Amino acid sequence: MTAHMDNSLMKVRRGRLKRARSWRALLAIFVFILAAGFALTLMLGQSFTPLQEVLRVLLGENVPGASFTVGQLRLPRALLCILAGCCFGLGGVAFQIMLRNPLASPDIIGVSGGASAAAVFAIVVLQMDGVAVSIFSVFVGLGVALLVYGFSYRNGVAGTRLILIGIGVSAMIESFIAYILARAPSWDLQEAMRWLTGSVNSAQLSQALPVLIALLVFGGILLCRARDLEALRLGDDTAAALGVRVGVTRITVIVCAVGMIAVATAVTGPIAFVAFLSGPIAARIIGSNGSLLIPSALVGACLVLVGDYIGQFLLPSRYPVGVVTGALGAPYLIYLIVRVNRNGGSL
Amino acid sequence: MTAAHSLVVEDLSAGYGERTILDDLDLSFAAGRITSIVGANGCGKSTLLRTLARLLAPSAGQVLLDGKSVHRSPTRVLARTLGLLPQSPVAPEGITVADLVSRGRHPHHGLISRWNSHDDAAIAKALEVTQTTDLADREVDALSGGQRQRVWIAMALAQETDILLLDEPTTFLDVSHQVEVLDLLTDLNHQRGITVVMVLHDLNLAARYSDQLVAMTGGKLYAHGEPNSILNEEMIQSVFGLRSQVIPDPISSKPMMLPIGRHRLASER
Repeated sequence: MTAHMDNSLMKVRRGRLKRARSWRALLAIFVFILAAGFALTLMLGQSFTPLQEVLRVLLGENVPGASFTVGQLRLPRALLCILAGCCFGLGGVAFQIMLRNPLASPDIIGVSGGASAAAVFAIVVLQMDGVAVSIFSVFVGLGVALLVYGFSYRNGVAGTRLILIGIGVSAMIESFIAYILARAPSWDLQEAMRWLTGSVNSAQLSQALPVLIALLVFGGILLCRARDLEALRLGDDTAAALGVRVGVTRITVIVCAVGMIAVATAVTGPIAFVAFLSGPIAARIIGSNGSLLIPSALVGACLVLVGDYIGQFLLPSRYPVGVVTGALGAPYLIYLIVRVNRNGGSL
Repeated sequence: MTAAHSLVVEDLSAGYGERTILDDLDLSFAAGRITSIVGANGCGKSTLLRTLARLLAPSAGQVLLDGKSVHRSPTRVLARTLGLLPQSPVAPEGITVADLVSRGRHPHHGLISRWNSHDDAAIAKALEVTQTTDLADREVDALSGGQRQRVWIAMALAQETDILLLDEPTTFLDVSHQVEVLDLLTDLNHQRGITVVMVLHDLNLAARYSDQLVAMTGGKLYAHGEPNSILNEEMIQSVFGLRSQVIPDPISSKPMMLPIGRHRLASER
């Protein structure tokens, strides 16, 4: 019996250490890919800037030519891509885990749309700018999330009901955005595209700040709740039996995920499908080796960074990043709907 | 090995929304024993278990664990004494057995506490007792129904609670796996003194494997006691609305119920 027991103990410990090691190794690979992508987007553009010059600009030196292209154009854009991507990825996967369904992503159930509509309304009609737009979007995004949640509440929230109601609300919001944009005649097409598909064109460093703060504050709280969130994957009853305060955890997750997504959306517009795609991609790679939160944030950042680069330089004409991510996400959405229809899959 | 806990239900009423399902129940569960809750569909068995496990708040009365209301105790602290295996728990896609069982350690960890060797030991022991060590690296999705149920029980055991509540742990299992699960629960009860309270559909298995039966009808308690003293034809008639004959089970000498329907009777034709 004791020999048996030692054997099991070894097996358990080895398995746990192996999972932790794989998780860390995969995370390191994500970080490496993101860092490489970041460096490349700073070096490559209409012209090539050598790595030494990029580093000198980053260290604050004044390099003729490079200071403008790297410091003013490429750096703010790349930073905004990464920060917004992290917000979308992390916020998205938090919703997907909480509701145990990849379709329950904020961009499918209207939360991103709500935040985006609020931003359009605030800018076009109320003539607000900067932080005020972010705050307004956060509250409207939360409002939409609670509305969808409330509508689908009947003896607990069933995932499918919430998703269907969310898709309906989402469609209404999109027509509202189209209406506002149509009523703003002087609005130029490029700006309109931002609110319909999401874009990081003409990014400035000052825009990245609210996104960074949202990521640190809301993302930090989410990471502290990671264990409770992870327990919710076993079903609400099991989680409650394990000592998770299900209601409190849900509200915390909703507020944090919506908060970070709304702030990012207020700056970049709803970059299509990044929130929706990041979690499943991370899940495919990480497997059950550990938490999906940080990996999903990194996948989101990679998606936006690479998508924006493709949209700028690798296609026949320039497209906003949302067009590229949209083209990636749509086939996956169709695949998921077919699969979920067949066997009610989970994340 | 385990502390004796008192689990008592006082004037308990509960339900969903306006609909009252449990109606003024008084009960005391025997510590260190196996108790099965039996009754017809919709009589409130599962609702009682969910209320005991504080998943459902009572509309009146209370559930007391060692004299303290379970609905007012800190839920994480409670989860170290009271474990629950729900009727249909969800296994995340691709999760391995060892990983799933390790989730049972949740209530023993706070925000910053680190995984320690006691956690590993508790998981190893849970796997050992449920004979799932060999499955540790397999994916839960790939297991048979009986194996999966053993794994879920292992998760509840890793929680190291002195009381274990189970909602129909044998449903969806074939008869050999039903017996296997009930034997396992009996082992746990005998070896570790764990108090087991479960909802069971199969009356004869409930009678054979339980020290105490709680028979419910219409949200009320009909009878509570040892199978030998409460399981009889009159109880079956009142609780299930069924004519029957109760004979001694030749295997266990506990009572065994044989239903009497309208057809296929030896006296027929």
